[in-house]
Amino acid sequence: MAETVVKIDNLVKRYKELIALDHFDLEIKKGEVFGLLGPNGSGKTTTINCLLSLLAYDKGDIEIFGEKMSPVNYGVKKRIGVIMQNVAVFDELTVYENIDYFCGLYITDKATRKKYVDDAIAFVGLEDFVKFHPKKLSGGLLRRLNIACGIAHKPELIILDEPTVAVDPQSRNKILEGILQLNREGATIIYTSHYMEEVEQICTRIAIMDKGSKIAEGTTEELKRMIKNTETITAEILQLPENVREQIEALEHVYNVSYADNKLVARCTGGRHNLIEILKILQENQVGFGSVYSEQPTLNDVFLEITGKALRDKE
Amino acid sequence: MFSNIFKYEFKSCLRQKAILFWLIAFPIILGCFFKMAFSGIYEKDVVFNAIPVAVTNIEENDILKQVLEQISNSDEALFKVTYTDIDKAEEMLKSEDIKGIIKASDLSLEFGSTGIQQTIVKTFIQQYKTQEKIITDTAKNAPQKLDKVIASLSEKISPNEDIPLHGNPDITIQFFYNLLAMTALFGSMSGLFVAQKNQGDLSALGARRCCSPVNKLTSITATLLAFHAVEMICMVISVTFLRFVLKVDFGSKLPLVYLAAIIGGITGISMGFFVGSFRIKEGVKISVVMAASMTCCFFSGLMSNTIRGTVAEHCPIFNEINPAAIISDSFYCLNLYEDYRRFTVKIISMAIYTVLFTLGGYVLTRRRKYASL
Repeated sequence: MAETVVKIDNLVKRYKELIALDHFDLEIKKGEVFGLLGPNGSGKTTTINCLLSLLAYDKGDIEIFGEKMSPVNYGVKKRIGVIMQNVAVFDELTVYENIDYFCGLYITDKATRKKYVDDAIAFVGLEDFVKFHPKKLSGGLLRRLNIACGIAHKPELIILDEPTVAVDPQSRNKILEGILQLNREGATIIYTSHYMEEVEQICTRIAIMDKGSKIAEGTTEELKRMIKNTETITAEILQLPENVREQIEALEHVYNVSYADNKLVARCTGGRHNLIEILKILQENQVGFGSVYSEQPTLNDVFLEITGKALRDKE
Repeated sequence: MFSNIFKYEFKSCLRQKAILFWLIAFPIILGCFFKMAFSGIYEKDVVFNAIPVAVTNIEENDILKQVLEQISNSDEALFKVTYTDIDKAEEMLKSEDIKGIIKASDLSLEFGSTGIQQTIVKTFIQQYKTQEKIITDTAKNAPQKLDKVIASLSEKISPNEDIPLHGNPDITIQFFYNLLAMTALFGSMSGLFVAQKNQGDLSALGARRCCSPVNKLTSITATLLAFHAVEMICMVISVTFLRFVLKVDFGSKLPLVYLAAIIGGITGISMGFFVGSFRIKEGVKISVVMAASMTCCFFSGLMSNTIRGTVAEHCPIFNEINPAAIISDSFYCLNLYEDYRRFTVKIISMAIYTVLFTLGGYVLTRRRKYASL
């Protein structure tokens, strides 16, 4: 059985009356890419800050690498790499100097540090920008520098707190590929995000958070199996007669039908030929339709079904 | 780790344009303005030579004549007196043979220009007016004590205590002293950044540092020393520019002027570090530091050379605790006093401030976990 890298037990954090973390438990094994998914304000960053001993908490225990985490547990801190939500670099130092500075907080040997810094630069693809100052970098490159500063010392546990916020899709993909590469090289990853697609794409296990509590945990497949919805069918229809809607609602595996803005949405649970059956009803009743498509449930559907609200605010 | 933090903090600080502007460019620019503004009224031959004055209608004031005789015939003569009529006196004033006219009949004064010598004449007459009754009574009732009374009058304005015995007595040099004091206190801005950078709840950089395996004391000390080093460079540049480019005469103890400037700069940084360690908004802290620096400089005489006297008169303790006044006084003491006692006191005062501010900052930043971020 894989070694436990992070163990959070019964963690409670309050900000006056607001409960930011409500008896939160978590266990992360070595080699996992663990996703903490939740809407803004769900407690993801608070969890990370408590984990790193930046934040004082009211109750609970945190162990990392089998040791109780504290602000002065430098042995454990040495094995952790942190990439914060906000870019934390020196504007006055070059790309190389920034990475060397942060790597130098962990690695004292100059020769080793030089190699590590070069590796980090190559890893994030900033070879052509080593002499640039952060202000000259684009948002995506700046995020990559932020990542390089956090991982240059080759940590065993890497914590990434929303590293792709405000990053273009191309840079986002590079960052995600890089995270998987780090994991392949042996690092355990904790990844927080409110972008469900990213979490689905890279995480081996996911905990969904809301209002400071863990509402579900498992692999993507396990999470999707927790909900009723197995398929959502959408059809563009100019006019949907009431009797046709009733026929669709009567189908065995359809449990919810809605029609708004010329869109019919039928949610199904189980069944293998739901799309064919719906199309058949439409043809028999001579109802014209535009595009028709079927979607598998997403983590957003999981979140929606468990909490009754969408995971992400409309952007 | 320490050397690595020091190296990069030093580089980072040295590349901060705002810091370089306020610590190097601004004092140089202001110094040039001062030089231009004061070059016309620069006086070197004041105080120590007897001030030539003309006295009119002396026959109407015997007591004044006695007083003037006594203080102009002593070893440390304050005035070189010419008794004459008003027309002649005015002619002498025009041709700058004398610095002022004392009209004995009503004790009014007339000057051709303003300056420290005129101020001394004015002060003398004011003193005389306030003590005229005592002098008159003494002359009548105990003439044997008159010498002592007159001596006490002249002592209050004579160069035996407050007016120096050597060095550059130019009154405008105070502005340059205060300019250096201001530059030193502007170091508080960089001290503020030191605190910000090391606090996990004040900046993202601080949070990242708190996650690293570096002891907070090590991190703060290395950063503070790096900023001290930059401040030191800035102060050396400022003093060098004032002394060798603008030819400001700081007296003969230039190495100690550099020392005082450097220690003043360190005091400034520690002040900023202390303020920066409070958990309040950055903008508020910047405002507090700037306002405190400017207020201290204002009351030490950066904008007006009379404000120091006013403060000394109404709240003398403020001049003793005002960091800007302490820094500018250290230059003043060096320039004008032979002995180092006063200078040493000022340096010790700065050192005490530095230690208190730095310790205060450490205490405020020693927190390892934060209630909120």
